[in-house]
Amino acid sequence: MSTFYERFERHDHAVGLKARTTHYCPGCGHGLVHKLIGDALEELGLQDRAVAVSPVGCSVFLHYYLDVGNTQAAHGRAPVVGIGHKLANPDAIVISYQGDGDLASIGLAEIIHAAQLGLPFTVIFVNNAIYGMTGGQLAPTSLLGQRTATSPNGRNRHMGSPLRMAEMMAQIDGTAYVERVALFDAKQRVRAGKAIRKALKVQADRIGFAFVEVLAECPTHLGLTPIETEKWVAEKMVPVFPLGVKKEPTAEPYPAWPTPSHDPGELLRLIGATAAPVPRFCAGFPSTGFGDDIAIKLAGAGGDGAQTAALLLTKAAINEGFDATHIPSYGPESRGGTSYADVRIAETEVLSPAAPHPHALVAFNAPSLARFGPEVLAGGVVIYDSTVVSTAPTLPAGVRAIPVPCTAIAHELGQKMVKNVVALGALMGATRLFPPETLVAAVHQSLGSKPQLLGLNEEALARGRRAAECDGAG
Amino acid sequence: MVDVSKRPRPELEPEYCKGCNRCVEACAHGCIVPGQEINSLTGLVPVSLHLDDCNGCALCIDACPEPYGLRVEDDAPARLRPQPIDVPSVRLPLPEGKPLILKGAHASAIGALLAGCRHFFGYPITPSTEGAELMARLLPQLDGHFVQAVSEVATVNMMYGCGGAGLPCMTFTSSPGFSLMLEGVSYMIGAEVPGVIVNVMRGGPGLGNIGPEQSDIKLMCRGLGHGATHAIVLAPATPQEMLDFTQLAFALAFEYRNPVMIAADGYLGQMTGKVTLPPSMVRPGLPAWAVYGDAAHRGNLINSIHLAEADLEAHNRHLQAKYLRMIKAEQRADLYRCDDADVLLVACNTPARMAKGAVRALREGGIAAGLFRPQTLWPFPVKALKPLLEQVRQIVVVEASDGQLEDELRLALSHAGVGEGIEIRHVRRMGGVLPSQREIVDGVRAAVKRRATA
Repeated sequence: MSTFYERFERHDHAVGLKARTTHYCPGCGHGLVHKLIGDALEELGLQDRAVAVSPVGCSVFLHYYLDVGNTQAAHGRAPVVGIGHKLANPDAIVISYQGDGDLASIGLAEIIHAAQLGLPFTVIFVNNAIYGMTGGQLAPTSLLGQRTATSPNGRNRHMGSPLRMAEMMAQIDGTAYVERVALFDAKQRVRAGKAIRKALKVQADRIGFAFVEVLAECPTHLGLTPIETEKWVAEKMVPVFPLGVKKEPTAEPYPAWPTPSHDPGELLRLIGATAAPVPRFCAGFPSTGFGDDIAIKLAGAGGDGAQTAALLLTKAAINEGFDATHIPSYGPESRGGTSYADVRIAETEVLSPAAPHPHALVAFNAPSLARFGPEVLAGGVVIYDSTVVSTAPTLPAGVRAIPVPCTAIAHELGQKMVKNVVALGALMGATRLFPPETLVAAVHQSLGSKPQLLGLNEEALARGRRAAECDGAG
Repeated sequence: MVDVSKRPRPELEPEYCKGCNRCVEACAHGCIVPGQEINSLTGLVPVSLHLDDCNGCALCIDACPEPYGLRVEDDAPARLRPQPIDVPSVRLPLPEGKPLILKGAHASAIGALLAGCRHFFGYPITPSTEGAELMARLLPQLDGHFVQAVSEVATVNMMYGCGGAGLPCMTFTSSPGFSLMLEGVSYMIGAEVPGVIVNVMRGGPGLGNIGPEQSDIKLMCRGLGHGATHAIVLAPATPQEMLDFTQLAFALAFEYRNPVMIAADGYLGQMTGKVTLPPSMVRPGLPAWAVYGDAAHRGNLINSIHLAEADLEAHNRHLQAKYLRMIKAEQRADLYRCDDADVLLVACNTPARMAKGAVRALREGGIAAGLFRPQTLWPFPVKALKPLLEQVRQIVVVEASDGQLEDELRLALSHAGVGEGIEIRHVRRMGGVLPSQREIVDGVRAAVKRRATA
């Protein structure tokens, strides 16, 4: 019995007989299942690698007895706790041990999805058709007509029918091995032992997810003697929960999992960190007349490229050694409908990252112009796509409106996607925020795998800048 | 052929028998009969053995539910296990590089990777999902694990398993998802399991909206599931702090064997800004207490059930002592122009940035304002606040909630027995809206004016 603690120290500090006896009622099936797991671990030589995850229910105290790594889980969550253990150490032999309330009621979502994930670990499901620890209430596996504390007149159609978990598990693609066994006579116990051994071996061989349902006895809450309960299981439960193998493992084993990398060079490469210096083109913080903390808003319909342009602007500012932030509108708003971006550029530190009252607004359509135009600060500037917005907007006093045919220019350049870059060029032309090279460098940085588009973007920036400068001059 | 006469015969200590009689049925030779006498130690009636016809088939042993019930003499000693030792984490230096331009959620994910986290569990929810998406992209390339769980409930319990195995793990979530995780958080705290939860707070209650809010402060500081729970709550205000605080959170989670919460708001998750990488990253070790699934850690247990009242009370006292250590050692705050302030703005997360802008504007308008920014919401950094209270005449709490930060402030002042007589006012927005700099300036001006005329 070396898979059991020599003394059950966790069982009420092993006082008196508790050092060597379980907390289970006479004739309870749980003790038998514990012994079968212990024997299987012993025979397969897996005791040191085993982690048993105990449920909430009568078997909550599995960790009193089984001399393996032990974790006690919240009600119904043992399989996902097991997933955490298995991914932390793929060499661990993880056993999720659950009763019928734990697995088939409160933890149904967890067991189904754990099975669907199909990681190699072992679930032992002890089905005794009743809630034990809470005192004999209806279980999802209680039989029709079965009297319990919460079905005093017997389970009827209003309370649903018993859930057949093994069959359900078998039809989930992720499971490798599923069997239902019982404990009611010597033959069944031998079969149960074999099934549990197999379920552990399927895991140890990395074949996949193994599920063994054990029909067990709860004499106390059935109000029967242990021997009567064995008969009850054989005669009443088995017809509803047929015994046998529901699914045989056929899958190829998982390849061994590699150990996670903690190599600094590898991580830095992945996150795009580089020590390469960025060229700077500004002599100092730009003199725009907007002070040292500039607020810019870019707004349009989804797909107008407001966010991309805003990010380019943010990158450009940070590359120049300033602080900058970009906040997008997000969620449902960003899927169609309006899309707007707040950009702040500050000499040393951006304070408020939002731009409810911007110094400059880039509006790609009429609704954006109507919504945000009135919020632009006096002395500010509004650039709008005059291809789309035909009438000149009414803006607060002291706000300069600059129409730029962004869409038309983009069409002339043969790529309507670059209208946002045209607008960005116009913004530079109107505000003198950054020299052309700064934006070109930021575009280059952002194009990544498509450097061939640099020329097009450079042209779009230049055309936008010229359009705004002409308007400004006029 | 097996010589049945040589097979060992079962033995039974009567006090270990509960008299269920399952062995009686199992024996084909009638060697075991139901007992007649009540055992004085157990009050139960053990079976009685008559082994003359026993052939040592052991079916009775297989029928006995008790590990130390019917058994054959077993001389094999319990398998010894080596003593587990703490394998410390290792700091690996990073070269100096140029600043990265990162979204807050991405910065936080990278902070986790730099802290040695290679296990991510999560469920998509706006506005936190970008962090998970980056993890889904990067972790497989580092041979780490990304799992999209069936729910937030499953997520937090995967963390319970992985953290219980002694490895750093994390999740990103947002308010409704965070609510769902709280049961598991209580178990993590009860069982002393480390882990990092980034809650990018959005508008509530209920489904609310996806705009930025700070209405989970109460939950994170006072309501981490059932029972007497606490966890360090870090409140970043910039993408840079999203990275720095996430990396720090893992160190704190393992130092205290407790989950750590990162309270961010919707803007912080989505905001892109300048981020400089720290000077080092961490290769995690393996703590001695872990249930890792190997020989050394076989004796360990991750557990929050303590059935005896005395045991549970002792466990709670142990947790309380730990919380006290956090309160003493982990208060963090950032002070801006507080030295001569007589109006103190108190704000955290993105609203603290608006408040900082407001302080500058107020100063330009002749009001001696300062910003006190808690970087830990629990423990509230009252130690740094205390010295300011001698000169401060008014406090204005700026937040995107119904006063949850103000409640933390008031509780902290009350527990510290300070701040009496200092007027506390507020500027609040709700519904997925942050207070604007202009609203804050106006609010503070109005408060100062009221005081002047009073």
